[in-house]
Amino acid sequence: MTQYLIMCRSLSYAQKAARLLERAGITATVVKAPQGLSTGGCGYAVTLRKGLDEAAALLKRNGLLSGKLFGRDGGGAYREVRL
Amino acid sequence: MIYLDNAATTLIKPLPVRQAMDRALLCMASPGRGSHPPAMLAAETVYDCRCAAAELFRVPEPEQVVFTMNATHALNIAIRSLAGPGTRTVISGYEHNSVTRPLAELGAEVREARGRLFDARAVLEDFERLLPGAELAVCTHVSNVFGFVLPIYEIARLCRERGVPLIVDASQSAGVLELDMARLGAAFVAMPGHKALFGPQGTGLLLCGARGKPLMQGGSGSDSIAQHMPDYLPDRLEAGTHNVCGIAGLLAGLQYVRDKGTENILRQERELLTLAIEELTGSGLELFTGAPEAQCGVLSLRSRRLDCESVAEALAAEGICVRSGLHCAPAAHRSAGTLKTGTVRLSFSPFVTADQVRTACGVLRGLA
Repeated sequence: MTQYLIMCRSLSYAQKAARLLERAGITATVVKAPQGLSTGGCGYAVTLRKGLDEAAALLKRNGLLSGKLFGRDGGGAYREVRL
Repeated sequence: MIYLDNAATTLIKPLPVRQAMDRALLCMASPGRGSHPPAMLAAETVYDCRCAAAELFRVPEPEQVVFTMNATHALNIAIRSLAGPGTRTVISGYEHNSVTRPLAELGAEVREARGRLFDARAVLEDFERLLPGAELAVCTHVSNVFGFVLPIYEIARLCRERGVPLIVDASQSAGVLELDMARLGAAFVAMPGHKALFGPQGTGLLLCGARGKPLMQGGSGSDSIAQHMPDYLPDRLEAGTHNVCGIAGLLAGLQYVRDKGTENILRQERELLTLAIEELTGSGLELFTGAPEAQCGVLSLRSRRLDCESVAEALAAEGICVRSGLHCAPAAHRSAGTLKTGTVRLSFSPFVTADQVRTACGVLRGLA
């Protein structure tokens, strides 16, 4: 996988998640969720290049893991990742 | 010009407020609507402002900070979330129309914990007497007319003990007195951005201890398929594009308050208040004053020979800006016995100097 995507409830939650990850040394960026990955229409997500397990565990401990996780392969397609 | 109408709006702002607004106007678009840099920069600024407010007011999570147009907007959301026809509501005798009018419109059953002016214990005893059986309490932290500091933490304790949700109107205290959302345990705390937080007009905050009922419906940038507002904060209570320029200015204002410290701002304002009282004592003007700890930021007065509007007009002619009349708070004037005449109000900020207060008092002495 070249990139991981953690779906978030909203922009504020994505920002909160990204800042929590950054404080833990995990580089994270807030992005608008790609169409088709968000179940409710518009949504936001946090992207990472690496450290998905650690990031997901940290977000879970802080009550911020509410959405699905996706991985993007070299061809650009997203696939759901289950930890 | 000598500006002494800071309880309405602080006209003189810290320079970074203007700079932040200018930058926002140039560089920022709509937060939560796009993923391009101007939208994301706006989103960062809005979130930074939530975090700054949460830190200053000890709100547990930044998403509990909701942006509004002003304190009236925030109070309307709060009151309409918790009150309806017949809701047994206790309010202080010093509330602004932004509290009493929504309650009247909703048909709530309102009782006033009036208490004597500057007598915190009397207000507290009235709350204690009226709270049993109440379903809601709404209380201002500081009277916008008299600067009377109400015992809000004790009132909050009484409400918690009786399971009555409390809405606090912090319009005059936010940025001046310690305001601790976690310690208050209030359902909502409402405040303007344009007074002692030094943001521009058109900004306000609602600190949410409860979920709240949307006053408006519309785009939130989230859950767009659903035809109801999201059930989570802040999206639930923020429909439509944010006032990003205003929020950028408010963020700079919050940073100013944080850096200066509310205790220093309070001390400075109380020094100016004390100076004004000293300068005007014996002038023949009727001054409304209490014990030093019972009053902050505001001095109301009346002339024995001129009506309040004439006093304000005469001051304005000398370049001195004050507010006169009922200050949109007839309840407070009723409690203090000034409903028929209103008062002239001088209100301070850290940008007011002692020399300005002396000059204004010199003119006022001639209007006694």
